[in-house]
Amino acid sequence: MQDFLQQVVSGIATGGIFASLALALVLIYNAMGLVNFAQGEMAMLATFTALSLIQRGVDYWIALPVTLVLAFVGGVVIQRVVIRPVERAPVLTLVIVTLGLATLINGLAGFLFGYVPRSFPSPFSVQTVSILGAFASYQDLGVIVVSAIVLVLMYVLLQRTPIGLAMRAAAHQPEASRLLGIRVSWMLALGWGLASAVGAVSGIMAAPALLLEPNMMQTVIIYAFAAAVLGGIESPLGAVLGGLIVGVTVNLAGAYVPGVGGDLQLAVAFAIIIAVLVLKPNGLMGRGSVRRA
Amino acid sequence: MSNLLALEGVRAGYGQTRALHGVSLSVGEGDIVALLGANGAGKTTTLRAVTGGVRWEGSIHFAGRSLSRMSTESVVRLGIAHVPEGRGIITQLTVDENLRLGAYLRRDRQGVRADYERVFDYFPILRERRELSAGALSGGEQQMLALARALLMRPRLLLLDEPSLGLAPLVVRSLFEIIRTINEKEGVAVLLVEQNARIALELSSHAYVLEVGRVAVEGPSAQLKEEESVRRSYLGY
Repeated sequence: MQDFLQQVVSGIATGGIFASLALALVLIYNAMGLVNFAQGEMAMLATFTALSLIQRGVDYWIALPVTLVLAFVGGVVIQRVVIRPVERAPVLTLVIVTLGLATLINGLAGFLFGYVPRSFPSPFSVQTVSILGAFASYQDLGVIVVSAIVLVLMYVLLQRTPIGLAMRAAAHQPEASRLLGIRVSWMLALGWGLASAVGAVSGIMAAPALLLEPNMMQTVIIYAFAAAVLGGIESPLGAVLGGLIVGVTVNLAGAYVPGVGGDLQLAVAFAIIIAVLVLKPNGLMGRGSVRRA
Repeated sequence: MSNLLALEGVRAGYGQTRALHGVSLSVGEGDIVALLGANGAGKTTTLRAVTGGVRWEGSIHFAGRSLSRMSTESVVRLGIAHVPEGRGIITQLTVDENLRLGAYLRRDRQGVRADYERVFDYFPILRERRELSAGALSGGEQQMLALARALLMRPRLLLLDEPSLGLAPLVVRSLFEIIRTINEKEGVAVLLVEQNARIALELSSHAYVLEVGRVAVEGPSAQLKEEESVRRSYLGY
């Protein structure tokens, strides 16, 4: 039982990482009807930025917010420069553009930082603490707390502020939103900025365990895709829920199902997701759109 | 009398197709003006030209200001509320969220709060439905929501694109009563696009009939209503 709880806590920590990246995917999906294939690479580049700051002697807790601000600005710039010119292009064009962006950022990171995996500092110790008889590492708890704070902030921003409401309106119905005076194009840029910042959190949280190198996020983004689809691709809350489910499932499968580990972990996660989607095709929180003529 | 809205020789189109071939019309402060015509006559395009939803040439002035090359967002900020074809309700959001978006540009919190009460007086049903998804409303309720949201923008001019479309006659009646009240009480000018010519002519003081992108007939609504020839050839009743 103790061991089980430990696996769950550690799964929630992993899930928080997936959830952040999944939320980033959902934000952009809502804004342009397409997942951003470069989201993971953007997060990876942000993580390298954080590492550069830390290596120059900047305190972790200063480097983190500074990196998030930089990631936000980077996201806005990418939307303005790369995405906006092809905004009205067919979906396939956008797919290719984001795939190209992913390749570009990956290559850029390789060129700038090399491919040797680097250890990334964590402010949380790997020591464990006993909670209700189970042992959880400070590292896992730290990741859970940081992810939770970021996700709650995002929720408040999107659901409880006028700018969040305008962002959601602009994403759902750009034409109608323009007629209400909402600057739709800037709302989309804002969405890219936020997605980029949230994704960066996921990269920075994942780096201590995965070691930082240009391909670090490639597995993570597959889990994040799965989490986003499981939650119902349009729902931010669903993305978070999906992330947690995927994280815990992968951890438990790795620990208890004989022979599952490494690559097979991914397969088990997907098997469960497919099973859920067969029963609920719109995902856990997805709603078939309600509409009247 | 100075015109609130004035179009002169407005031409507009979509790609290679011209929808408007030089439309001129005007709406005075506090007026209700009807824009009539068959399907494809250019009624919707005329409204879209005003709020920058379609590229146009010619001249459009609002309150003495040229709207040339202005974005939709900027035109709206001048005090024009446009309820588009299909109502423009954001069905993924709740009724309340839609209403809040109406007040998105406003910074006077107390004024907004007072306007909420006023709007709920006009449309009590919206108060009851406040927390519901806007997509779950009936067609008539959605049209009320669209009107309510437009009022929260505190416009000087209201552009309405076929508010009667798809609604039961009784619902249309009460909706038009409310539009009249709003016009009288708030002094909001209205440019009303309608297929239902009879009810539009009753409500408006002046009317224009469009035919393939041009103004074919114009005049005081009372007069158009009486003229047999106009009724037969353009209004179809």
